Amino acid sequence: MTKGYSRFLTILFCAFIGGVLLISTLLPDKDFSPLENRVLQSPPKLTLENLQNGKFMEQAEDYASDHIVGRDFWVALKAWSERLSGKRENNGVYFAADDTLISRVEDPDMDKLNKDMGYLDTLVGNVNVPVYFGLIPTAACIWADKLPAGAPSADQQSTIDQLYFSTGASTIDLITPLMEHKEEEIFYRTDHHWTSLGAYYGANALLQAMGMEPLDLANYTKTTVTDQFYGTLFSSSGVRWLAPDHIDTYISGEGITVTSYPSGSPVQTQLYDESYLDQKDKYSYFLGGVQGLRVIHTQQEDAPKVLLIRDSYSDSLAPFLTQRFSEIHLFDLRYNATSVKTYVEENDIDAVAVLYSFSNFISDQNLGLMAR
Amino acid sequence: MVFSTPIFFFYFLVLTLLLYYLVPRRGRNVVLLCSSLLFYYWGERTYVLIMFLSTAIDFTHGLLVDRYKKRGNDKAARRTVASSIIFNLALLFFFKYWDFIASSLQAVGLGFMPVLGTHLPIGISFYTFQTMSYTIDVYRGDARAQRSILNFGTFVALFPQLIAGPIIKYKDLGDQIDERTCSTEKFASGVQVFMVGMAKKVLIANNVGMLWEAYKAMAPGELTVAGAWLGVLAFTFQIYFDFSGYSDMAVGLGRMLGFEFLPNFNYPYISRSITEFWRRWHISLSTWFREYLYIPLGGNRCSKPRWAFNLFVVWAATGIWHGASWNYLMWGLYFFALLMLEKFFLLRRLERAPALVGHIYTLFLVLVSWAIFALEDFNQLTAYLKVMFGLGGVPLADAFFGYSLISYLPILCVAALASAPLGKSLFLRLPQRAAQVSGAVLILAGLILCTAYLVDGTYNPFLYWNF
Repeated sequence: MTKGYSRFLTILFCAFIGGVLLISTLLPDKDFSPLENRVLQSPPKLTLENLQNGKFMEQAEDYASDHIVGRDFWVALKAWSERLSGKRENNGVYFAADDTLISRVEDPDMDKLNKDMGYLDTLVGNVNVPVYFGLIPTAACIWADKLPAGAPSADQQSTIDQLYFSTGASTIDLITPLMEHKEEEIFYRTDHHWTSLGAYYGANALLQAMGMEPLDLANYTKTTVTDQFYGTLFSSSGVRWLAPDHIDTYISGEGITVTSYPSGSPVQTQLYDESYLDQKDKYSYFLGGVQGLRVIHTQQEDAPKVLLIRDSYSDSLAPFLTQRFSEIHLFDLRYNATSVKTYVEENDIDAVAVLYSFSNFISDQNLGLMAR
Repeated sequence: MVFSTPIFFFYFLVLTLLLYYLVPRRGRNVVLLCSSLLFYYWGERTYVLIMFLSTAIDFTHGLLVDRYKKRGNDKAARRTVASSIIFNLALLFFFKYWDFIASSLQAVGLGFMPVLGTHLPIGISFYTFQTMSYTIDVYRGDARAQRSILNFGTFVALFPQLIAGPIIKYKDLGDQIDERTCSTEKFASGVQVFMVGMAKKVLIANNVGMLWEAYKAMAPGELTVAGAWLGVLAFTFQIYFDFSGYSDMAVGLGRMLGFEFLPNFNYPYISRSITEFWRRWHISLSTWFREYLYIPLGGNRCSKPRWAFNLFVVWAATGIWHGASWNYLMWGLYFFALLMLEKFFLLRRLERAPALVGHIYTLFLVLVSWAIFALEDFNQLTAYLKVMFGLGGVPLADAFFGYSLISYLPILCVAALASAPLGKSLFLRLPQRAAQVSGAVLILAGLILCTAYLVDGTYNPFLYWNF
């Protein structure tokens, strides 16, 4: 190796690693990554306790990786490189047909599920109104034919059948109607949620299970509120080569009041939160994102009141339910530890629906709160 | 701390190099010792004390051996060496093998040793072997006793080789600890070797490792014959590129700091016999066992049964060194059996056979050995081996096999090519100018790609925690 070349390689290497360190340190810290849709690690705190239990090291490692200069570029580069090397997935997200991203669903832990089904049965016994139970299959089930051939994903159909068979709640068949309409845009291509159209079929499945009159989409007009939606799968997959999704609504928010409880005390909000359309997290346009409790008052004053034990899939479902219920109570067990039994009694609820997407239900650790 | 993380690459390494080259030459070992201790403390916290203990005891033992030798008191010197060996082995035994032996005894109904649930300190097998060989070398006159505890501490804790080897003998490094030269040429060649190692670990090993993880997680009934082989093939590449990648990174970091370590791997998968494979695989470990166990036992200058016994001991030790579990012992004895076969009659025949026969024979046996190595659970191991040999009553292939093959074929081909010296010899044949340009381009590409995989590193295992 010649002297000049050695010097060149040495400078190249040192300038790269030193440059990354220098620029990363000089750049102002971001708390949140809009592109990845997650909170970034804050600077680690150097305390004796943090050192002894290793928290400092863990946080420092995450901090170094989260706040590296050009993080979004590195994440995208890795996804590109995986794709070019023949991979059909990155970070658990499949590059499916028709420019669609589909999240892999891991095989569920049946012991956990059986425990949760026990909590559900306790809930059925606790309240003297009917309890409905619905698991929403994810795109990995309904759009299985879009997945790369042979790509592994849990068998949602058989697990749902098994759980439905054993429960004391009245079950809601969501697979059949979604399967019937699988040629339509019922899931987003870049997000794990169902679209408003998918939610419409879901709403009718719920109404039918409750013996109520289904809705007819012909009575409503479609409004596209944004065509620049990049969802959660776009974020987690690192895939940057796809066109954005669009978000549609069918139900107008007029005459509907929404009371949210972001921190215990009530706040008036809306069925649709326009402010989210300017942000990355556009799905939160529906009802304004996660909250422990939200109550929707509609104009159908004589209609029954429903309590939904829910995940975020219900946010785009709720607009359709405003057409058939007087009050819709959205209860999120992750942020709400109130007793469901007491809540049902105090608010004269007429029906309870436990409605989760398959992947959230198999991973949620708070379902025990149903039995309170 | 491990090398393949942003915190090591962009923080620890940058600051260490900066300090190392800013302080006057005399202070460099202090910088190295402090940064190495921080490096170890980062992952192992208070277990760094065990390393202190080991350092202090072997340092004093070394001085004592030296003094007794100078006084001509061979008996006392020998006794001191024995004391050092006993201490190091006791340390290793307690932290690594106590629970294994206790739980094995309990399994057969002997409960006199309690299972303690001790944490195995990372790298303990590496540094106890290094410090143990130090006193032996001083006794044998192969190395001078180190007078400075600071320098000796630097040798033991030296971060490039601390947690995943190579196992460096004091006699090979002692002089460099005291006095070494740093130059731009050395640094640049260190950069080259380090980047090769980083690419091996981050771009190849972690990648094919995910394929092995998928197969390892399957119940025997979900496996297929072709899938089981594909899984083991993936592990075969993972362990080689991970381990030799670590060794390359160690050698590269060493050169950046002015050290020269001996190479640890020499294209093991191109071997034509198991005997050759073990000359090319984890060279520092087999050399260590040869010099400090096999030859003291009498090596091959003895009767044939005694020779076989010596080999048996060495290979049982080699196996169990890799982890306190029965499968590692089996793995070592598997190689013992194969090496005996080769020594007594197979090797001569292999040498006369066409090269291809030797390659296929070796790769086949090595693949099977990795299944034994990678599956600690005995029931899982037997079920997996059954599937590999068509006795599992499972289909030949399934859709998942097709999916995996398509997804991983390109990277497996890259791994296969990179397992042979072809790329290196082509590179060495390039005219100087072309070699320089392509070398610089490759290093820059390596820096950029590895950074991308380090930043979005969802799968980045450390395989040597049970060594």
